[in-house]
Amino acid sequence: MSYKVRLAMFEGPFDLLVYLIENLQMNIYDIQISEITGQYLEYIRNMQKHNINVSTEFMVLAAELIEIKSKMMLPKTTEENEALELEDPRSQLAYRLMAYKECKKRSEMLSIRQDIMAGIFEKPQEDISVYLDNPDEYLSLGIEDFARAFTAFLQRKQRLEETRRHYSSIERDKVTTEERMNFIRGRFRKAFRGGMKELNFNELVAKKDRYDAAISFVSVLQMMREGYLDANQQDTYGEILVHKGIRDFEEGLENIDGNK
Amino acid sequence: MATNKVIKSAFESMLFVWGDLLPACDAAEVFGISEKEAIDCFEELALEYKQEGRGLRIRRVGKSFQFITLGDNEDFIRKLCTPVKVKKLSQAALEVLAIIAYKQPVTKGEVDAIRGIKCDRVIEGLSKKGLIKELGRSDAVGRPVLYGTTEEFLKGFGFSSLKELPDIENIEGLMGEDRETLSEEEKSDDFRQISIEI
Repeated sequence: MSYKVRLAMFEGPFDLLVYLIENLQMNIYDIQISEITGQYLEYIRNMQKHNINVSTEFMVLAAELIEIKSKMMLPKTTEENEALELEDPRSQLAYRLMAYKECKKRSEMLSIRQDIMAGIFEKPQEDISVYLDNPDEYLSLGIEDFARAFTAFLQRKQRLEETRRHYSSIERDKVTTEERMNFIRGRFRKAFRGGMKELNFNELVAKKDRYDAAISFVSVLQMMREGYLDANQQDTYGEILVHKGIRDFEEGLENIDGNK
Repeated sequence: MATNKVIKSAFESMLFVWGDLLPACDAAEVFGISEKEAIDCFEELALEYKQEGRGLRIRRVGKSFQFITLGDNEDFIRKLCTPVKVKKLSQAALEVLAIIAYKQPVTKGEVDAIRGIKCDRVIEGLSKKGLIKELGRSDAVGRPVLYGTTEEFLKGFGFSSLKELPDIENIEGLMGEDRETLSEEEKSDDFRQISIEI
């Protein structure tokens, strides 16, 4: 079995090229093709070495860079030493890179606006049916009016559903792991005072629902990771016994207070 | 004829009852005024909210208006209740969205060309989220689909209209910088070429 990991490093060949150019502090209209091509190819080779699937688009740009490089090496004069009026082979690439940089800047702007808008809340379409008149009076209407009312109803329903689709629901806060870890700490302090060395995992669950058990479980795992707790389970689906880990409870707490 | 004050007051109540974006034409119908007059009233009302520093603001999307909360109050709202965090768009999605927003109507091929990589999946995702839509078909070979942004895009990114999309110069002096240095660099062009040959 193999794992496939997608690293969000470079969003495409231009992304990589722009990064390399900016890293070398080159002017986009005066790219030193030889150096850039070398670095670009090295990067791709590195990616392949690490078993990263290099998409064909990266290869296409690599080929283009090599083509530009070879064009740059051609003499700029004819055999009679007349200067040839040639377009800089890099200009097309520079133009495309500028277009990409422009798009990237704009995407950054959108990203910032997205963050800002995450803090602004709106209301979905209100259910105004409570304000609406008793529908009885529609019965005296002609068939056309009735049909119109029905279409209006359908449209309203459609609009309502559309809003339902994309508003974010707001929920009351549930217990967080931090809160649960505090609770567990308290439980253990009490147990230690009573001379007990370990606790059954079930005793660390406050309410007996699935969410609560899960949050306790995650909290215990987190505290085990931090070295405060350790746990044993003799057999599969058996009882989990939790006891003190290598670190002292108060030790970490002091640190937290000290940091503040 | 109702006075400006009465109309604004009524519009304020209507926005409250409606909740979602209220089209100015619907509001105008109530008073038998023109859509433009209604929009002016809404704009005045929005300005009053802003000047008074209220915790509610009126936002405009196209020709519709809606109450929204003030961004500064985010923390307090989050303390009152924990709204589900809307998943943010990936960098790839934002790039594609930026291209479509600025260049619409635009074909998939044009988007691909700017990013140098295929964007089919990203475009599909953005369509599903309702941020972009098909605007029709281009006359070019193969009659490719043309894409543009939706009202949902304006809402999600806080724009009143596409005209509000900032110029690249305003985002940063990106283009300006490079252009200034261009003339100097051109002079030294031949020199560089020699060094590459060596």
